[in-house]
Amino acid sequence: MMLAADLAGITTVVLGLYLVVLLTLGVVAWRRSRTTEEDYYLAGRGQGFIVTVMTIMATFFSSAAILGIPGNVYKEGVAFTLFALNLPAAGASIYLFGSKIRRIGRKRGYVTQGDMIADYYGESPILRLMVALVGFLYILPYVIMQIKAGGHLAQGMFPDASQAFEKGALALSVVTILYVLIGGMRSVAWTDVLQGVLLLSGMIVAAIATVTALGGIGGFFAKVREIDSEGLALPGPSGVFTPWKLMTICLFASVGSLLQPAQWMRLYAARSDRVLKRSALVFSLVLPACFLFGIMIVALAGRALYPPEIVDGALVAHPYVGEFDQIVVVMVKELLPEMLGTIGVVMVAVLLVAVLAASMSTADSNLHALAAVLTRDVYDRFFRPRASEVERAWVGRLVIVLAMGLALWLVRAGHHNEDFAPLKMIVNLMFAAIGFSCQMLPVSIDMLFLRKGTRAGAIAGMAAGVIVVFLFTPFPDLLLGRTEDAPVAESVKPLKSLFDIGFTGFVVNAAVFALVSRFTRKLDPERIRERARDMDTREEAS
Amino acid sequence: MKKKHLAGILTAGFIFAVIMGAGPGVFLVNPDPDDPDARRFLFGVPIVYLWAVGWFFVQASCVVIAYRVLWRAEEDSEREGEEGTS
Repeated sequence: MMLAADLAGITTVVLGLYLVVLLTLGVVAWRRSRTTEEDYYLAGRGQGFIVTVMTIMATFFSSAAILGIPGNVYKEGVAFTLFALNLPAAGASIYLFGSKIRRIGRKRGYVTQGDMIADYYGESPILRLMVALVGFLYILPYVIMQIKAGGHLAQGMFPDASQAFEKGALALSVVTILYVLIGGMRSVAWTDVLQGVLLLSGMIVAAIATVTALGGIGGFFAKVREIDSEGLALPGPSGVFTPWKLMTICLFASVGSLLQPAQWMRLYAARSDRVLKRSALVFSLVLPACFLFGIMIVALAGRALYPPEIVDGALVAHPYVGEFDQIVVVMVKELLPEMLGTIGVVMVAVLLVAVLAASMSTADSNLHALAAVLTRDVYDRFFRPRASEVERAWVGRLVIVLAMGLALWLVRAGHHNEDFAPLKMIVNLMFAAIGFSCQMLPVSIDMLFLRKGTRAGAIAGMAAGVIVVFLFTPFPDLLLGRTEDAPVAESVKPLKSLFDIGFTGFVVNAAVFALVSRFTRKLDPERIRERARDMDTREEAS
Repeated sequence: MKKKHLAGILTAGFIFAVIMGAGPGVFLVNPDPDDPDARRFLFGVPIVYLWAVGWFFVQASCVVIAYRVLWRAEEDSEREGEEGTS
């Protein structure tokens, strides 16, 4: 059995090395940067294939990839493995949506989503604010989720330390802020390459270790046969994951999560369409494979080894695991040192750092995007329209610090407050955030393909979609102070059990968008033609 | 015109894979948890997991064909454009 002291010591060394490399990359990126806003937010629009695909994958795969999603497979059994089928749809969208977004972004100098949407539908403060709000509602839960993961990880790494959760969450926040502040998009993207490699290899190594420890593929599946019947069928033990819900997640949440502010900016930052096409291919093949043949294997074995229990009518994790999201940490800590001795302990440390990498790579991208959104779409439009680029870049940095502070405060509050129980699982935060970003889907489809909507329709549709998604989160009951009887949650429960919340918002959003567009003033056809030309024509051919 | 036709087939195939893989198609294999005789494994592997893997390969095939046949044709002309301007 591995000594806790061994793990703590080796983990500290590996963690120290990792952090030094990150900060070095941040400094090198800063030395290569110019002081323009475009360079800080889009790395000069010159990102090549490796950096683009890794930063898109690392941003897409947050702590949810190594903690939340396997945590849900551990909780729900094989039903949740079908979730992996959303990834090829997200991958294909990198090309199908991304190439048009990149082309017009480059031609018209867009930096944020708001720049493109306001330019297409006609500049409007309400439209800008609506887009910024949707971005904020996506980013905040996602950053909270990463900080929570930092806390969980610290608990796993240093179980004997006092206030490990709080210290881990704080450490993750401080280091992430540092290199984002220093190097901007270039730093974020470069560190994403390292973090992406760690994350993907960690998912596969954890699976290999699990299968090997259980005596090979035969031994693994023999163990999986011990899973209870509910864990081997849909809708899973909680009854949550019906096929209809999973299908709407795979078709809509996948694309929605690619239209969030940080990913949208990565599409602008790509050097060429060719970069995006290759990124789409690699994303569609590699990420689902890492899930299906990697981390989900670990979670299924975890369910067989440490089956969840029913306590007071509620499904809870096995006492040895503690929380659902901890299953991978528990599995690798248990299996690797037993198999490989000291090398195994080193591998555990590397895998734990991979979890940290997953969290940081998403937190940094989202904070960076939030800075762009609030600076360009709010500060620049409503407070200081004549601010210089340097001033805006500094305001962006201030936004990063404030947003991280807010997220950290919410995480600490949630950790000590049972009222935040609905958001205790990382995957719940993930679906809430993706639900908001799905509300960019109708306007995106309209701008890129249909070109029939109006500005009023876009605003009304987004507002309706955001309200619907909001009603499906635990926030209305928290705001009403009715967390015990939760009247809002109870009233939307039937619909929530049928469909993904993002999809439900999307349907309302699209219907309102179409209806309002039908009766409001159309956009100037020449305006649409100009923008359509910029989206559809490759600059190389022009 | 042929490429447009292929694009339509691939899109339809991809959506069909999602509907079958993660959607109501699962009912074809999903075991009843309350039925002790329900078939839960195929070749020793949980049948729902195997179903997910199978439809992932269908989705992946659609993307690979789209990349090789539809997208790369554009890529070639792009590369020529890039080389011509460099």
